[in-house]
Amino acid sequence: MSTSVDAEQAWRDLQRIRVPQERVYDEFERSASGGRGTAYGTAALMWVFLAGVGIGLPRWGVGLLAAGYVGLLGVVIVTGSRRRRMQLHHTRCPGRMWASFGAMAGLVAGTIVLADHFTKALEPISAGLVQATAGAAVYLLSLGPANRWAADSVRSGGGPEAGEEPGR
Amino acid sequence: MSTPAGFDELIHPATRLSVVALLAVTEWADFAFVRDSLSLSDSALSKQLHTLEGAGYLEIRKEGGGRHRRTKVRLTDRGRTAFEGHVAALRAIVDNAAPATGAVLRQTPTEAGR
Repeated sequence: MSTSVDAEQAWRDLQRIRVPQERVYDEFERSASGGRGTAYGTAALMWVFLAGVGIGLPRWGVGLLAAGYVGLLGVVIVTGSRRRRMQLHHTRCPGRMWASFGAMAGLVAGTIVLADHFTKALEPISAGLVQATAGAAVYLLSLGPANRWAADSVRSGGGPEAGEEPGR
Repeated sequence: MSTPAGFDELIHPATRLSVVALLAVTEWADFAFVRDSLSLSDSALSKQLHTLEGAGYLEIRKEGGGRHRRTKVRLTDRGRTAFEGHVAALRAIVDNAAPATGAVLRQTPTEAGR
């Protein structure tokens, strides 16, 4: 059996496609901007790691701390991903998402370098704590805006089905 | 009227089109998420998913056990290709419509959709 579809019906179908896809973008935005527990958890882990590095541990201590940090970060990420109700398709992850991730990493790293520069006169332990606090604070402050910016780009650059008008 | 190549009879019904459209922008989605997003009942969604699974358009995977049991749905490459072909066919229908009609459709999608 063959279905005959006129232009109006085809146009309606193309519009219909957008509705469920908007639900996906809503969910992505919600999960990106939410997760306060995950944000504070990762910031706390970062603080402990940076403070540990900053107080001048021996090389093996830093290695152990880094392994623990990566391991715990992995646990937080896996726990977070298990709670997710869907995962955005990789073709829907625009460059802006990775750019915001890179910018955040750069911002935190820059803050740590700057804090290191300004705390040279302090005791190593105090300097380490200041650097860790500054780094974790910048991470927490930039996380929300970076996530929102990335989520906006997913919706606006949502790909051929969602972003383009038929007939273009 | 002939339908252009790529037009997929299996995806064409409204509910199935919505299910596939949702899955097309995800790597995978929870059964509950699809059901809630499309305001469908468990049985209605289950029926559509099994039809699409039978055609090899999607995979249904059950994970965990007990209270943590989850059903994940994923569009296969075949399903993704079929959806893209169907969307292209719909676009071709709109584009091939009479220029005047096409212009009206493009300019006033809400009215044209009534």
